[in-house]
Amino acid sequence: MIAQQIVNGLMLGSTYALIALGLTLVLGVFNKLNIAHGDVFMFGAFAGLACAAAGASFAVAILAGMAAAAIVNVLIERFCFHPLRNSHFLAPMLSTIAFGIMLQNVTTQIWGSDPSRFPNVEATAQLEFGGVLLSSVQIVILLVATALMAVIDVVIHHTAIGRALRATAIDREIAGTLGINTGKVILFTFLTAGALAGIAGVLTANVYSQITPHIGIRQGMIGMVAMVIGGLGNLRGAMLGGIAIGVVEILNDAYLGAAYRDLVVFSLFFGFLIMKPDGLIPQDRTLRA
Amino acid sequence: MSVYMEGVLAIMGINVLMAYSAYVIMATGQLSLGNAGFMAIGAYCAGYLTTVAGVDLLPAIAAGALLAGAVGVILGIPALRFQGFFLVLATLGFGEMVRAFFVNFEPTGGAYGMRGLFGAELHHIGFAVAVVTLLIWLLERSRIGRAFDAVAADEEAAACVGINVRLIKVLAFGLGAMIAGIAGGLYGHYLLYIEPGNFTFLFSAMAVLFVILGGMETVWGALLGAAIFSLLPEILRFMLNWRLSLFGGVLILLMIIRPRGLLTRQLLRNLIRPLARKTTNAA
Repeated sequence: MIAQQIVNGLMLGSTYALIALGLTLVLGVFNKLNIAHGDVFMFGAFAGLACAAAGASFAVAILAGMAAAAIVNVLIERFCFHPLRNSHFLAPMLSTIAFGIMLQNVTTQIWGSDPSRFPNVEATAQLEFGGVLLSSVQIVILLVATALMAVIDVVIHHTAIGRALRATAIDREIAGTLGINTGKVILFTFLTAGALAGIAGVLTANVYSQITPHIGIRQGMIGMVAMVIGGLGNLRGAMLGGIAIGVVEILNDAYLGAAYRDLVVFSLFFGFLIMKPDGLIPQDRTLRA
Repeated sequence: MSVYMEGVLAIMGINVLMAYSAYVIMATGQLSLGNAGFMAIGAYCAGYLTTVAGVDLLPAIAAGALLAGAVGVILGIPALRFQGFFLVLATLGFGEMVRAFFVNFEPTGGAYGMRGLFGAELHHIGFAVAVVTLLIWLLERSRIGRAFDAVAADEEAAACVGINVRLIKVLAFGLGAMIAGIAGGLYGHYLLYIEPGNFTFLFSAMAVLFVILGGMETVWGALLGAAIFSLLPEILRFMLNWRLSLFGGVLILLMIIRPRGLLTRQLLRNLIRPLARKTTNAA
């Protein structure tokens, strides 16, 4: 029973980790908090759903969700972050809230406000591993999310663009002087962050089977919770934090009751901020270090 | 006055109070994205007192405001340690925690909310707005107001001239929370019904947004921002279902065109100087 809960928690947590990763990339490199990140996730879910409803395969739906979310995230950079790069630090963040309101409204107008169902694109087979039941969708989520986290980790720490990104995170101006194309780094960061939110959206929509234009609000907040628990601006921390929150939520639902979920999660979040603001992984492992 | 117009004005008044609650905290260089939490505390406390304990409306709202203010002071103490995004996230987390608490708190109806509240009319809200505006205006002209300014400008310099920075910052949190508590008590008794879903993060965020858009340098900025941007969704009704998109678009555009807000101290000076000259000429 407990093993089953933990596996379910890992699956839920891996989608949270993908959301937290995108938030952390943007915060770590540009010191900007994107409050509309959850809405980017939601938009990706709806784009994927539209493709699946039109008869596309699951893989195509995922790609469509990633592409749509990545484009929207770049729009956020263009309209909310770039023009306000010299303003008070609150201004760009509040601007993304306005963008989130727009995105929810646009989604409602395109796809309606009624909860939409994801058509069962993959036949859900149940597999059993030592008493733990796994559906094929769950296995896909676990594999895709784990693979993506590994890819991001390698790209950031062992490739040229990853080095450029980390240099930009430390000092954008000096990185530019040293010949790093910071415009390219910005584009790469926002595309990646958006695509991660988009794939998390499509994967989550598949499990919940019902989505509304307002699901992004809570998901974005959970992403922030995961980011803080892992350590602000720390990629591996964000992954760990996301997975931890997923496990905590599922265990809470199983033993305490779903009604207490938000109280437990946000109390944990607040407790972490007060007692251990550095998060699970210390600050010297952030993008800036 | 039509019922529709009255409803719009009442919500506008509540929004002005919420903008003030954000403004007072921001005037010391801090910020809170959890003021909907203080509002919820004020609303639930006042609602419980009038519906269950049979207390009159005015003392009930005052008690709700005091409780919210006390919680504000308690939150203000750990908030001293935070800056920037940590403060954003901590206050945001606090607001969500309060909302989640009321979802599970059965004495005030839990997730189903609380019914049977009544008694607050538009003129009560208008009166509260007038009184709080006057009090903030007086506060800004007092020693405490100048201490607020000094702390916002430079904490270390403020400490050097003998200002108790920690006390001022905690005081600002307490005052802001108290104003949000008043807004909550009025809101609940005007709507006749409250549920935890009324006090979401968006409410807290809009309060800060009103201040930033109106101009965070003067109290009139908060007033103007809240007034204009509570009316805007109503003015945009001709856009029917797209009005929220246009609303969001206007906010983003204004942020780009006037990043310091609509009303700045400079603009106020420029507006007032010609008037002053005219009066001296006349004399």
